[in-house]
Amino acid sequence: MGWFILLGCFALLLIIGMPVAYALGIAALSSFVYEGLPLLIGFQRIVSGVSVFSLLAIPFFIFAGELMLHGGIASRLVSLASSAVGWAKGGLGQVNVLSSMLFGGISGSAVADVSALGSLLIPVMKEKGYIAEYAVNVTVTSSVAGIMIPPSHNMILFVVAAGGGISVSSLFMAGLIPGILMCLCLGAAARWVAIRNNYPTEKFPGWSVVLYAAITAFPGLFTAVIIVGGALSGVFTVTESGAIGCIYAIVVCVFVYRSLTLASFIVAVKNAVRTTGMVMILVGCASAFGYMLVLYDVPSELTKLLYMISDNPIIILLMMNLMLLVLGMIMDMGALILICTPIFLPVAVGLGMDPIQFGVMLMMNLGLGLCTPPVGSCLFVGCAIGNVPIQRAVRTIWPFYLAILLTLMLITFVPSMSLFLPNLLDV
Amino acid sequence: MDRKISLHPYLDRCLDALAAICTGLSALSMIVLVSTFGWLVYGRYVLNDTPTWVEQLALLMMITISFMSSATGVRERTHLAVDIVPMLCGAKSQIVLRMLCDFILMIFGVLMAVKSNELMQFSWYKEIPLLAIPEGIRYIPVLISGVLVALFSAASLLGGAISLFSDSDSDPVLNPDVSGLKNKAEE
Repeated sequence: MGWFILLGCFALLLIIGMPVAYALGIAALSSFVYEGLPLLIGFQRIVSGVSVFSLLAIPFFIFAGELMLHGGIASRLVSLASSAVGWAKGGLGQVNVLSSMLFGGISGSAVADVSALGSLLIPVMKEKGYIAEYAVNVTVTSSVAGIMIPPSHNMILFVVAAGGGISVSSLFMAGLIPGILMCLCLGAAARWVAIRNNYPTEKFPGWSVVLYAAITAFPGLFTAVIIVGGALSGVFTVTESGAIGCIYAIVVCVFVYRSLTLASFIVAVKNAVRTTGMVMILVGCASAFGYMLVLYDVPSELTKLLYMISDNPIIILLMMNLMLLVLGMIMDMGALILICTPIFLPVAVGLGMDPIQFGVMLMMNLGLGLCTPPVGSCLFVGCAIGNVPIQRAVRTIWPFYLAILLTLMLITFVPSMSLFLPNLLDV
Repeated sequence: MDRKISLHPYLDRCLDALAAICTGLSALSMIVLVSTFGWLVYGRYVLNDTPTWVEQLALLMMITISFMSSATGVRERTHLAVDIVPMLCGAKSQIVLRMLCDFILMIFGVLMAVKSNELMQFSWYKEIPLLAIPEGIRYIPVLISGVLVALFSAASLLGGAISLFSDSDSDPVLNPDVSGLKNKAEE
């Protein structure tokens, strides 16, 4: 009965439109009351859920992403991508994917990626004769690279939700190959659509322009090297490398690019604290919710249920993927990482899957959820920028969904896709 | 995700000012957070003297940012919610659902304020290691956040009640959109 109150209350609150974070907290507190546990402990769990040292990297990554967005790094990366791949068929689609790979890799946020690159590229694509839906679809789906390519604050959420024992550096490295592969698949899908619709091709600007764009973009790109390299080499902890990344981004944007004004800095800080607040209250409330989930033994009950349906690992993995995809369509990524990790991770480990591989699979699954209606923040932002109704955008998005799903299947069934780099680098 | 309902211009300005103060405090905490970590790395590699207080201060800043910004999010309606059912409902039902959310959130805010006050008093005579300040300070942002969540929800509840009994066709709550995300995109 207790678990029914917990999950039922949560579902009911979600249905009436309660913010996800508070729905988690209130559902958990309702269970506390039902079980006769003091509410004081419930609130203490919420506060202690936020007060975790490894979570400190999250505000730093979010802030670094905002600094890049407002400090001129994004536009330099677009110039680099434009000069490098703009000459291909449907060139701006390829530019969009490559820019997402570069920018998303640094900022670690899919929504920041869509905001930054969408506002730069979607208007240009429309101007050059590309259909608005195509521009939105490429921008939205390629933003998933921000979650997969390190650094990614969602990966830190996963590590915390998994209850420790997983190295952030390993997970960062594990996401790299799948992230790049996904971008290649998306690039292929973008090209296929471009050929079908006979989209224009840009002229190759010459190697000197490519070299100049690369040199100009290099200081910005180096932010990712500092964050990931610092953590991998052991020079900094992940948290410290996030902070140093922020300081470096400020220095580059102020002294090298000279494009970060006081006003844009204030906007960047405000946006960063706003997003941090949203994510962290979610973490705190999910911590209390997770406490009750474990108390009711929900993870092992789900494992039993899945084994009742089938004992074939392939079927179970496909079912897990399907459940995550459906959940990703209706709920926010951060909340799902925090709720689903303690539930599904033991099932995956029981099937012999490495926790790191599961983490990468979870990221891609929920990343796809950000691009699907009815609740997809990247899709919302992309459609708002492109001024395209959501229902029109999703009518032509299927080649891009297929590209991500193909990568997802490879991650699920080919462990070396995610485990090769962590094993090679021994992190 | 829909827009906030206008209550009274003066009251709205006061509540917006409160939300702005919270954002300002959070922003300041973020700058302190980044600076102290910069100092930590500088201390370790240049001065060869790692400042040990950074970790505890950082956790305090983290709590400040998290709870203050989340309270602001209630006022600005930036928290992510699943709006599918409300969007399928009629105008009046939307307002009623929203008032229900506001009411529950108000109670949550009151409980958060009361319980964090108890936690603060309970832990006031213990010290945060390395900072030599009362442990209870950790709960002050939570207490303020609870009060603000209750206040912002109560204001929204009242606004909902007013719009429910007035000409609802012209009310912005009837046009739910992705304004929070749009604002983010525009910024």
